[in-house]
Amino acid sequence: MMLAAIENLGSITLSHYIFTSALLFVIGLIGFVTRRNMIVMFLCTELMFQGAAIAMIAFGRFHLNASGQVFVIFILTVAAAEAALALALVVLLYRRRETLSAEVWSELKE
Amino acid sequence: MASSIFYLACVLGIATAALYLLVRPGPRALKLGATVVGLGALGWLVQQFVGMLGGDDPSDRPGVIFFIFSLIAVASAVRMITHSRPIYSALYFVMVVLSSAGLFLLLEAEFMAFALVIVYAGAILITYLFVLMLAQQTPGEDGTVQSPEYDRIPREPAAGVAVGFVMLALLSEMIFSGVSTELEAPPVAEAEVAAWQELEQMPGRLNAEILKAEPDFQLPPLANPQTDQLIRIDDPGDDQVAYVVGLLADSREPARVELPDSAMPQNIQRVGWALVHQYPASLELAGVILLMAMFGAVVLAQRQIELSDEEKLEAARAHQSARDAANGGGA
Repeated sequence: MMLAAIENLGSITLSHYIFTSALLFVIGLIGFVTRRNMIVMFLCTELMFQGAAIAMIAFGRFHLNASGQVFVIFILTVAAAEAALALALVVLLYRRRETLSAEVWSELKE
Repeated sequence: MASSIFYLACVLGIATAALYLLVRPGPRALKLGATVVGLGALGWLVQQFVGMLGGDDPSDRPGVIFFIFSLIAVASAVRMITHSRPIYSALYFVMVVLSSAGLFLLLEAEFMAFALVIVYAGAILITYLFVLMLAQQTPGEDGTVQSPEYDRIPREPAAGVAVGFVMLALLSEMIFSGVSTELEAPPVAEAEVAAWQELEQMPGRLNAEILKAEPDFQLPPLANPQTDQLIRIDDPGDDQVAYVVGLLADSREPARVELPDSAMPQNIQRVGWALVHQYPASLELAGVILLMAMFGAVVLAQRQIELSDEEKLEAARAHQSARDAANGGGA
């Protein structure tokens, strides 16, 4: 049933966009799990945000509703706030141990 | 049909295996092979999805552009999580942002596309690059920068990629068994009708537009404000006309005022209206979040690191040896 649906796709449908966004999200997830550099881990969360944003915009366009784009504005806000705080923390941690490895900080008690 | 699902599963599995080889450290030839296999799998997916690349119909062109943009996005995302130098990861993420801005343009979200490029690629990514440069490794003995071990060797690549594969399988099962496979983008005419209906929710603007066209026009009171439509659409199609029926103030004659095309709310106006009309509390909350993030970053950055005497000595020694190495390499 699934592939029958794919074979019938004459034009771009909503699922094309959602599949792209799912791919980006999953790649970001894999990156977050496998990378050990703290900054790259945060970059991977931004990649997941990106996937979510594409899904939002696509839903908004296909249902003729501007709310999807409004949610992307909020995603941008959260991403900016996250970047500011997370990078400040990373700089602080780097100054203490001179390394960006996440494993060095597996325990945060001090 | 069952075999088609089998094929898709196989291709996704092959792509996942290729991704595993790319994530894992290994010889160059193996990575090259994995890249070729991964691109082949992606190409198969695209070929399955397209099926209409040969069509002469110009209305198919957005489809081709869609595939180009999403291929660039996915390929640079893969390169981003597999590159061993964080700076290059960040630059590949810029590619992802640019190509998804292209997708936004295809989805007629112009404002968000440019906001994405300005805010993400222009501000957030530059902050990342600054921090990456602040935290850069000092060059080694021979003056070359060697990526540290935590950048070259991933953590649990097999488990991570397996989790990703399962998640992607579940997601695509959901996506392709739902209604969204048949949901095509509504035609332009329908989108315009929706835009006119939104103008109706902006009484001030509607009044201004009407008075511009007909100075002494009176809007009729609606018998049932919940269901009645003020703006009516003539000839719903490619060249539709939106008009309002009411009375002229002095002669009490019925009159019909056609609204100019410029009165139709554009994308950015509709987004702004939805933002302040439907989600005012969230807008305030977003402002508070940004303010708190700013305070937090300032407080965190102000904090002094207290180093003990040995640590200071150690840092000074490392600094000195790095400088000696640099001087020695120059001479």
